[in-house]
Amino acid sequence: MIAGPQTLTRSSSSGTAAAAGPAGSRGTAGGRAALRWGIRAASLLAAAGLWQALTAADARLWLRFDRLPTLGEIAERFAGQLTTPLYYLDLLQSLIRILTGFGLAAVAGITAGILVARSRRAGDVLLPLLEAVRPIPAIALVPIAILLFPTDEQGIVFITFTAAFFPVTVSTRHAVRALPTIWEEAVRTLGGTRRHVLWNVVLPGILPGVFGGLSVGMGVAWICVISAEMISGEFGVGYRTWHAYTVVDYPGVIVGMITIGVLGWLTSAAIELIGRRATRWLPRAEGSRR
Amino acid sequence: MTSVAESATGRAEAGSTAAGGAGLAFRLERAGLGYGRDAVLRDVELDVAPGEVLVVVGASGSGKSTLLRALAGLLPPREGRILAGGREVTGPSADRAMVFQDDGLLPWRSVRRNVELPLRIRGVSRGERGRAAREWIEKVGLDGFAGHLPRELSGGMRQRVQLARALVGAPRAVLMDEPFGALDAQTRVGMQRLLLDVLRDTSATVVFVTHDVDEALLLGDRVAVLGRTGVRAVLDVPDGDDARTNLRERILEEL
Repeated sequence: MIAGPQTLTRSSSSGTAAAAGPAGSRGTAGGRAALRWGIRAASLLAAAGLWQALTAADARLWLRFDRLPTLGEIAERFAGQLTTPLYYLDLLQSLIRILTGFGLAAVAGITAGILVARSRRAGDVLLPLLEAVRPIPAIALVPIAILLFPTDEQGIVFITFTAAFFPVTVSTRHAVRALPTIWEEAVRTLGGTRRHVLWNVVLPGILPGVFGGLSVGMGVAWICVISAEMISGEFGVGYRTWHAYTVVDYPGVIVGMITIGVLGWLTSAAIELIGRRATRWLPRAEGSRR
Repeated sequence: MTSVAESATGRAEAGSTAAGGAGLAFRLERAGLGYGRDAVLRDVELDVAPGEVLVVVGASGSGKSTLLRALAGLLPPREGRILAGGREVTGPSADRAMVFQDDGLLPWRSVRRNVELPLRIRGVSRGERGRAAREWIEKVGLDGFAGHLPRELSGGMRQRVQLARALVGAPRAVLMDEPFGALDAQTRVGMQRLLLDVLRDTSATVVFVTHDVDEALLLGDRVAVLGRTGVRAVLDVPDGDDARTNLRERILEEL
């Protein structure tokens, strides 16, 4: 759902620059890298070309492409959207919802995860509740959210919060449990109290694990904020995308999808970046970005 | 075993008159130590005199680290009592700093911030902390590395940082758990020299755990030998090469 539109934007922007890639020298490390980038670009270009061919020909092979817009139509619609204030209003609205819900979930999730892992009593009180609610997908809470909250706005934030809360809590709890005991012992033999251990060992030590949970949480938060907007919003990219569909504005649907994809990518990249900054002390291990 | 408070060494006597907290005395009374249901050590009777360097040697699995963790207050005794400075040990304290074999530094803190940690915990002002940390970083020969993270240092350098961190707060006892065990032979000799050097200026009691008999003879005022059943012998380390060679034989026999 999110990967599709991203592929399309990339191909249209980077296609021309990278086409010259494979022509570079072979054998050298630089040449091999150029070749690989060339293949990657060609892969995107091929997908975009296939889309263009199928939609321009109004193909109806079992899958029906006749009502889907061509790349040209999408680009034109996108350019048009970028000039309307409504587009930015939607964007802002969705961002506010996701950042509020996600931000609350991050704080609550990290707190709950630490409490449950560090205090047996808190674990006894909270764990059964968490485990009882966790299997319910957040989006299934929409009816409850509508009944519970005075405005749709709050309901959407609630759904987003719930979606992101569980991945953050679970990863925090595991990260606390996986902490080597030697750091806590070191701080305690230097005279540190439980509070010192919390601030100087637990919080910094769990960051690598917590950021894993934040990444997952951001992903599901987007799924839920878009779904919730489609069901009950009056603004927001999710609402606008669904609205475009209902008024037979199919290029508008694709523009909405691309917008959602870009927003999702930007927020994930932001978390990744902050995470890398915060865990620079880790022994260097590449791999997450490739 | 033998009560040895009276055999405290010259360093200890000098220490008791030095400024700052005097060395801490330890006493284990019929202490049983272990994890879960398994007793590692039983009926341990041991006295550590204020200001001395007591080296505990023993084969792996003999409970050296267990003993040290009990002295640190990280492991409550299953039976008997452990006294530090006449008071029963109920938990860790800044009086009893510990140096771990490896990875005892907080990896997200720079060298300087690791060394400052005990002072920070104690609420020492920022300027004071910085000054003390700088002094100790220099003392352990890490000038110019204050801003480095532990992962950017070699094993020997990390142990230097641990040493500085343990001593910067002027603890009354330093408990060292095979601190040089993971180092190569050359680095180890350098570290042993540094340790002797640094300890000359403190009055702290040192309990040092190792499996290396030569290290024990080099560093210790006394050597406690741990066998399967507990403390086998506590021996004074004499001056003079011949006497030391004899003692070495004796320790190897006890092991």
